[in-house]
Amino acid sequence: MAAQTKQIKGAGISAHASTAPIIDVANVGLTLTSRAGAVEILRDVTLSVTPGQSVAIVGPSGSGKTSLLMVMAGLERATSGRVDIVGQDFTRLSEDQLAEARGRDIGIVFQSFHLVPTMTAVENVALPLEFAGRHDAMSLAHELLAEVGLAERAQHFPAELSGGEQQRVALARALSGSPRLILADEPTGNLDGKTGGQVIELLFGMHRRHGATLVLITHDNALASKCKRIVRMADGRIVADELQDAPSRTAAQ
Amino acid sequence: MKTAPSTSAARLDKTARRARASAAIGFAVVVRLAWRERRGGLSGCYVFIACLALGVMVITAVGALSDALTAGLARQGEMILGGDVTVSRTHMRANETERAWLDARGRVSETATLRTMARTLDGNEQALVELKGVDDAYPLVGEVRLQDDARLDDVLRTDAAAFPGAAVDPILLERLGVKIGDSFRLGDIEVRAAAAILSEPDSLSDRLTFGPRIFVSMETLQKTGLVKPGSLIGWRYAIKVGNEGPAASAGASASLDSFARAMKQDMAEAGFTIHDKRDPRPRVRRTLERLQQFLTLIGLTALLIGGVGVANAVQTFVDRRRKVIATMKSLGAPQRIVFQVFLVEIAIVALIGIAIGVALGLVVPLTLHSLYADVLPFETQLSITPWSVAAAALYGLLVALLFALWPLGQAELVPPAVLFRDAVVERRGWPRPHLVALLALVAAVLVSFVVLTSDSRLIAIYFVGGLALVFALFWALGGAVTWLARRVPRPARPELAVALANLGAPGGLTRSVVLSLGAGLSLLVAVALADASLVREISSRLPENSPNYFLLDIPKEEYPKVVEIVKGTAPAASMVRAPMLRGRLVSLAGRPVETIKAPPEAEWVLRGDRGLTYSDEVPEGSTVTKGTWWGKDYAGEPLVSFEEELANQLGVGIGDMVSVNVLGRNISARIANLREVNWESLAINFVMVFSPNTLAGAPHNVLATVTLPKSATLAEEADVARAVGRAYPTVTAIRVKDAINAFGAVFGKMMAAVRVAGSVTLVAGALVLAGALATAQRRRILEAVILKAIGATRRRILTAHILEYLLIAVATAGFAVAFGALSAWVALENVMDVPFTFSWTAVALALGLASGLVVLFGGLGTLHVLRARPVPYLRSD
Repeated sequence: MAAQTKQIKGAGISAHASTAPIIDVANVGLTLTSRAGAVEILRDVTLSVTPGQSVAIVGPSGSGKTSLLMVMAGLERATSGRVDIVGQDFTRLSEDQLAEARGRDIGIVFQSFHLVPTMTAVENVALPLEFAGRHDAMSLAHELLAEVGLAERAQHFPAELSGGEQQRVALARALSGSPRLILADEPTGNLDGKTGGQVIELLFGMHRRHGATLVLITHDNALASKCKRIVRMADGRIVADELQDAPSRTAAQ
Repeated sequence: MKTAPSTSAARLDKTARRARASAAIGFAVVVRLAWRERRGGLSGCYVFIACLALGVMVITAVGALSDALTAGLARQGEMILGGDVTVSRTHMRANETERAWLDARGRVSETATLRTMARTLDGNEQALVELKGVDDAYPLVGEVRLQDDARLDDVLRTDAAAFPGAAVDPILLERLGVKIGDSFRLGDIEVRAAAAILSEPDSLSDRLTFGPRIFVSMETLQKTGLVKPGSLIGWRYAIKVGNEGPAASAGASASLDSFARAMKQDMAEAGFTIHDKRDPRPRVRRTLERLQQFLTLIGLTALLIGGVGVANAVQTFVDRRRKVIATMKSLGAPQRIVFQVFLVEIAIVALIGIAIGVALGLVVPLTLHSLYADVLPFETQLSITPWSVAAAALYGLLVALLFALWPLGQAELVPPAVLFRDAVVERRGWPRPHLVALLALVAAVLVSFVVLTSDSRLIAIYFVGGLALVFALFWALGGAVTWLARRVPRPARPELAVALANLGAPGGLTRSVVLSLGAGLSLLVAVALADASLVREISSRLPENSPNYFLLDIPKEEYPKVVEIVKGTAPAASMVRAPMLRGRLVSLAGRPVETIKAPPEAEWVLRGDRGLTYSDEVPEGSTVTKGTWWGKDYAGEPLVSFEEELANQLGVGIGDMVSVNVLGRNISARIANLREVNWESLAINFVMVFSPNTLAGAPHNVLATVTLPKSATLAEEADVARAVGRAYPTVTAIRVKDAINAFGAVFGKMMAAVRVAGSVTLVAGALVLAGALATAQRRRILEAVILKAIGATRRRILTAHILEYLLIAVATAGFAVAFGALSAWVALENVMDVPFTFSWTAVALALGLASGLVVLFGGLGTLHVLRARPVPYLRSD
C-alpha cells in the first residue's frame, strides 16, 4: 500500500510539479466511541491531492469514505495524524476558523442536498457569499442559478423543488464562493440516472471551468472513471490508489 | 377500504356488512393496537403531560382549598357564630319584649361592638379600637383564651376598689405604650388593661375590624358613656336553641328554620338580621365561592394555553408516525381505525397528565394547611369533594380533546403513498366534517361547563369570549409575523436573513411561541396596568381634595362645639357634616330584599347595615341626573335620593318605594331622584339620602369630615384629633391617611395574589415554548450544521438565533401590551370608573418577561445546537 501511495504522489507531482498539495493528510486515524465501545473509523490514512485534480473515492458502505471526506472538510476532527487542507493545518484551527476556511476555500455537496429549508433557492446560493461579506451576493447568486439552469426557480423553497433541482441548487451554492476545493459526498446517490447525469455534467463542467480540485465519493463506477484518480477504501484504510490516463468524458448513466 | 364506487346493491350490501364487522371487532383491536404503539414509552409526551398537569393542578388545588375552607366554615358554624343562631341589629339594644322572646327559645348571650378611641390617661396617645361589651353568658360556645390562663369572667369583673378590667389585644398595649396592669381611658371612664387576648372564638362573625379588640363587661360599657341613642353599636344575640343533647341536634335544622320563621312572624319590624350555624358567614362563603370561580378561570386559562402545547405535541407525534399510519393503511386499516388508535393513545397520555395534575393539586391544600393553619380565624377541614376532582379532570380532558382532535383528524388523512415517496409534501387540509363537528361539540361542552358552573354567568361568558378573542388575536398575529417575515426584502446581514427566514418558515416556531406567550403576557400586562392605575387613584390622586379626618359619633347638638374646638386648634380647617344613621334595606319597589336577585356587584347594598343620612340640599360630590331635588323645608311625602348606578343594577327607578329599618322601625320613602356620586373624592356620601322630614325625628349622631390646608404638618394634624378627643372622649377620629394606607395594604396583597395566580398562565406559556423549541431542535441542529458547512461561525449562528427570538418576543410583547392595555382600559373606565393611566413599567415587564423567557429557553437550545457533532446529521444513511 505504501508503494502505491508513493507512486500516486509521484504522479501528482508530475502533473503540477511546482504546486504544493491542496490536500495533504498523513497517518490520519479516527476513533469514535459508541455504546459498544471504541470504533476505529479511519486507520492510518495518508492522501495527497494536487490542485486541479479530480479524485473519486470508492469503496463499500462503512469503509470510511464519508468520514474521510468530513475530516477533509473540517466537519470531523481526526483523532490522530496530520490534516493540511488548502494550506492550513486543520488540526490546529478552532471550530470557527474551520468554518471560515470552508467559507473561503471549500465547497461541499451532500447526497441529501441539505439546503436550508426556510430559504428560497437563490437565498441558499447567496448565503455563503453573504457570510463572506460580498455585497453583490444576491446578483451573483442569480447568475449562478442561471448557470445551473434554474433561473426560473430562484424564488422556490427547497420543498417545492425536485431532487435534481435541489442538487443543482446545492451545486450552485457549493461553487458560489469560487472554492479551490470541491468535496462531494455521493452527489447523485439520491437521484435517478438521468437527473444524476445532468448534475454530474454540471459538476465536472464547473470543476473544469473554475479549475477547482474535486474530490467525490461514489458507488458508481462510470462516475468514478470520469475522475483523473480513483482511491479505493475498505475497512477504514486506503487499499488502492490509481491514476487514470484518459478519464471517461461521457456522463455516468 | 372505504370505497364502494359501484352502484350494485350486492356490493353495497357487502360493504355495509364489512363495516358492521369492523365496528364490532373495533374497540378491542383499537385498544390493543394503541397499547402496542405506546410501548415506545412516554418520550416526546412530557410537555403534553406537563401542560395538562399544570392547568389541572391549579383547578384541583383551587377546588380542594375552597372545599377545605367551606367545610371548615360549615362544621364550625356554631363556633364562628358563638351559638346556633345569632340575631343582630345596629343602634338599638333588644327591648324587654324582644329579649323575653329570645330567652324563651334557649340560652342567650348579648354582645355589643363599636368603634371608638382608647386614650392614655394624659390624653397624648390615642388609638382606634374595636370595643366589645359582653355579658356573663358570653361565650356560649368556645372560649376566649387569655394570656397566663386568666379567665375572662375574672378579668372583666367590676370591683369596687379598682378600675373596671378590660381584656385587650397586645397590639393596643404597644400603640398606647401601656403595660398589663396600667389604666387607660375609654369614653368617659378609666379602665385597667387586665389581660392580653390570645384568641377570640367568634371574631369572624363581627364586621371587618380596623383596630385592636378590647373586651369589657356590659356594665363597664354602659359606664363609658359610649352607649347613647344613635351611637353606631352592633347589638348581637347568640342563642343556643332549645334543650341541649342529642335529641335537640337531631331536629336542629328544623328548629333553626322554625326559629327564623317565628322571628319573622313575631318581630317583623324589629329589623334583626338572622344568621344560623348552617351558613354562619354568607358573605365570607360567597366571597370564597367567587374567589374559587375566579381562580378556576385562571387555571382554565393556564390549561388552554397548555392546550397549544398539547396540539404541538400531538402534531409532532403524528408527524413521526406518518410511516406507521401509512403502513397501517396499506395493510387495510380504515381511517376510522387509524383515528381511534391514535385517539386512544392520546387519551392514555392525557389521563396520565390529568392524574398527575389532580395528585399535585390535592397536595397543595395539605401544604398550605400545614403552613398557614394558625393564621386562619377558624380551622380548615381537609375534605375534598369528588365534584372538585371530577370538575378538574373534566376540564383537563375537554381541553386535551379540543387541542388534539385537529392534528388527529389530519393523521387519519395521511396517504399510504408516503411509504413510497419519501418527501411527499402534502398540503394539510381540514379534517373530515364529522371530526370538525365533534371539535365544535367539545368546544361547546367546555364553554357550557364553564358558564353553567359559574355563579356570575355573564362574567363567565365575557371571560370565555375574551379568552377566545385573545387566542384568535395571537393566532392571527403568529400568522401575520410569519407572513411579514416572508415578505420583507431580504436583509444584507446574513444573520438577520437567517433569523427572518426562520420566522417565516412554514410550520416554524413563530405561531406556537406568539400564541403561548401572548395570552399569558396580555393577562399580566392588564393586571399590572389595572394595578398601577388603581394604586395611583388610591395614593396619589386622593390627598389633593380628600379630608384629613372622619369624626364619628358626634352628638348632633354638640356639633357646633366640636367645630369650635377644631377651629380653635386649626383655624384654617374646613368641616362638612352629615347626619349618620345605620339601617338595613327591607324592601325595594314592594319586593322584600330577600327575594331580589341582584348582580354580584350590587348585592352588598341588600345585605347588612347601610349608612343612611338626610339632607335638604344635594350633597357635595353628587349630581342629580334624573328627577328633581326636594326644596328646603320640604314637608310632604317622605322622599329618598338613590345612587344612579346601583338603582339601575337593582332595577329601581323614580317613583319606586324604598323601605329601610332604622332603630327597629320600618320607614318608607319614594325615590324622587337619582344621583351620580363621585365616591373617590372621599367626601361624605351615601347610597340613599332621605328628605329631612323622613329621618330627622330619629335619634342620631353626626358624621363630620375635617379638611386641613395642604400645608398642615403632621403635628398640627395630630393636635386636632387630640383636642377633640380631650373634649369629647366618645367621638371617634379616623385618620383618612391611615385608613387609605390600611386599604392600600390589603389591596396590595390582593393584587399580589392576582399576579401570582396570573403568572401561572405564563408558566404554562413557558412550558409550551420549551416544548415547541424542543420539537424544533432537530431541525435547528441540521440547519446550524449546514450553515457551518458553508462557512458560518458559531457567533453568527448564535446571533441569528438570538435575533429570531428577540423579534418574536418583541412582536408578542408589543401586542400583549396593546391588548392588555385595552382590556385594562375597558375594565377601569367602564366597569370600575377609575381613570386609566398607562405605565411604562408594564411595557418593560412584558418585554422583559417575553424576551427573557424566549431567549432563556431558546438560548439553552442554541447552546445544544452549537455543540452538536455535524457528521451524524449530514450523513444520508
